Amino acid sequence: MTSLPRFRDLPVTLRVPLITAGLMILLGLLASQSVLATLGRVQDARLSEAARLHLEGLSVALGPSVLRQDVWEVYDILDRARSAYDGRRLLLSVVADERGRILAATDPRRAPVGEDVATFEADAVLPPEIRMTGDPVLRVSAPLLYQGREIGRIVTELDVTDLLAERRSVAMWLLFGNTAATALLAFGGWLAVARILRPVGTLVQAMDDSRGAPRPIPDVDIPRGDPGLARLIQTYNRMTTAVESRAEAERRLAERERFVSLGRLSSSLAHEVNNPLGGLLNAADTLRTYADRPEVVRQSAELMQRGLAHLREVTRAILEQHRLDRAGQPLRPEDFEDLRLLFEPEAASRGQVLDWELNAGASVLARLPAAPVRQVVLNLLLNAAAAAGQNGRVGLDVANGQDRLSVTISDDGPGLGQADLGRLLGAGPLPPGGGVGLRLVRDLVTGLGGAIQHERLETRTLIRIEFPLRGSADA
Amino acid sequence: MQGTRRAMLLGAATLAAAPWVRAQGAPPFRFALTPVFLDNDAAVISALRSALAAGMGQDIELVQRRTYQEISGALLDGSVDAAWTCGYPYLQHRSEFRLLGVPVWRGRPLYQSYLIVGADDPATALPDLRGTTHAFSDPDSNSGYLVTASNLAQSGETPDQFFSRVIFTYGHRNVVRAVAGGLTRSGSVDGYVWEALNAAEPDLTARTKVISRSEWLGFPPFVARSDRIGDPAVSACGAALLALSATAEGRAALRVLYLDGVAAPDDALFDGIAARMAALEGG
Repeated sequence: MTSLPRFRDLPVTLRVPLITAGLMILLGLLASQSVLATLGRVQDARLSEAARLHLEGLSVALGPSVLRQDVWEVYDILDRARSAYDGRRLLLSVVADERGRILAATDPRRAPVGEDVATFEADAVLPPEIRMTGDPVLRVSAPLLYQGREIGRIVTELDVTDLLAERRSVAMWLLFGNTAATALLAFGGWLAVARILRPVGTLVQAMDDSRGAPRPIPDVDIPRGDPGLARLIQTYNRMTTAVESRAEAERRLAERERFVSLGRLSSSLAHEVNNPLGGLLNAADTLRTYADRPEVVRQSAELMQRGLAHLREVTRAILEQHRLDRAGQPLRPEDFEDLRLLFEPEAASRGQVLDWELNAGASVLARLPAAPVRQVVLNLLLNAAAAAGQNGRVGLDVANGQDRLSVTISDDGPGLGQADLGRLLGAGPLPPGGGVGLRLVRDLVTGLGGAIQHERLETRTLIRIEFPLRGSADA
Repeated sequence: MQGTRRAMLLGAATLAAAPWVRAQGAPPFRFALTPVFLDNDAAVISALRSALAAGMGQDIELVQRRTYQEISGALLDGSVDAAWTCGYPYLQHRSEFRLLGVPVWRGRPLYQSYLIVGADDPATALPDLRGTTHAFSDPDSNSGYLVTASNLAQSGETPDQFFSRVIFTYGHRNVVRAVAGGLTRSGSVDGYVWEALNAAEPDLTARTKVISRSEWLGFPPFVARSDRIGDPAVSACGAALLALSATAEGRAALRVLYLDGVAAPDDALFDGIAARMAALEGG
């Protein structure tokens, strides 16, 4: 039952020659059967004719001797006929008189004079009825006619071993010949079909090798002699361009998403910058007003230092987030601190409670690249914050297992819609309308070999990302 | 009765001679051969004809007949001039026939009759063959009939009574074939022919074995009609036969016949056969 699907799975360049070979074998069998049947008929006819001529010839020669019941004459004629005839064919000839008593036989020891001929006639047939039965010895029997009167009977044993051997030999030659011819034609068929289907193979290869980015087939490889295939490949090439364009657009969208995520933070970050600025301006006023009071100057300077330090942190975090091309930079606990710095104002602006748990050591984190993980976590946090709404609850839990880092983002929002789940978990085409942030998350996680799980626990939505850790497990 | 038959045969011979007389410009000498020897051997016939023709300085026509009776008839009716026949028919027509010579085989003008059976047959003597099948050569053959028949006659039996079936093959080689092929269990055969076959066709004789040999008897002789013994052609034939061993052709013919030469006529050689004839008639 499994052979059929397996056959279907074979490439068309193999299936077509196999079918050709199968049909050739069938044809060969039918042809062989026909040849053997014809050979059988020819042999039967040959045998029948030989038996008829032998018996008729003997009948003519034996007539007078049988009539006289001359044992010696009958024996002499049989004996000389045997050596004159094809001696290998005639095993035994027995001549009996009209009462069925044996007059003479070529082998008198087997058929003694005077015995009843009936034992030899048991399974004998008339010459026209003789057929090859597979038995190496066949018996024919005929009445011995002389001057229109039946004066006795002749029974002859024919050795057909040679005919059987000929039949076997023909069957063997047919078998070998047909096998060779079938193999040759199947090979030729395979070559021809493989040549005809080469463009299809190129097409399949181009699609297989593309790893999601179909590669166009060069013009020189397009078979001009086959308009149908040429059209197919041209259509494919147009499709690859379209896919490329789309992939480019998606790439650009993803690129933009990074700015989008920062854009989404802009107002809260503006507050984050603006708030210290008010304090700093006040401190500057205080300095100007109480320039002669050293303790006030010192306090104001300290205040300004703290405010400027905070601003520097925020700016650095924004820059870090933007610098996604930091290829190869390992993930550090500081990256999560940056994320917190960037995200906290957003949560605070909505009066949300932020549960922040970082339970993974630096050595574990270092086995993952920083940029994609930051992008993934930030996107999910922003989504969670948007879902949790005013006074909601957003959580981040980072924990390391034996060979993976588990990052769980939770919120108490209403949960993800089908379209968003499709973006986050599915590989299908992006539904129109809707952003590409969740799909970007999925692509980044997939790129790192990770997995995304979505869980809805009563009022909370949990999205768990499992990042496999690279390198030796030294954590 | 016998006289009447002889007169009839002589008459027939005179009638048959009439056209021959007209064509006596170059009449071929007609010499009849019997199935005594290897009658199917063309080389023997050819050698004998050449030797006789050379010896007689005359064309020879070799005439073959199936039975001794036919040979005797042909001699009597004059359709042949001389013949190689058997001692038994010679003695049957002793008054009409005259010896021209007697072949010498193995140094003597004598031979034996053999009783043969199949090579694997357990029989060792004639009495063991009672109720079996037997092949004779010719009812007028000494070695191929008379010897066995006279042996049976001594115990008051005839071949038909003693054997279950008797066949005549009209040829000593045929007797050997019949026994070798299993057609009959035993056969009466000319010892000279069996020995000659033993040299020429050992495969055939190997399928038979000799279980009994007769006493030495007069070898089948060359004969002519008594009343023509004075004919120059017949005399020349007798002289040629006696001189066979003196000519190259003659020696060649004798070699293929496995004979040493031809001895001068001597009726005493056939006393043994005459005795067996008497025994048969007496039985």
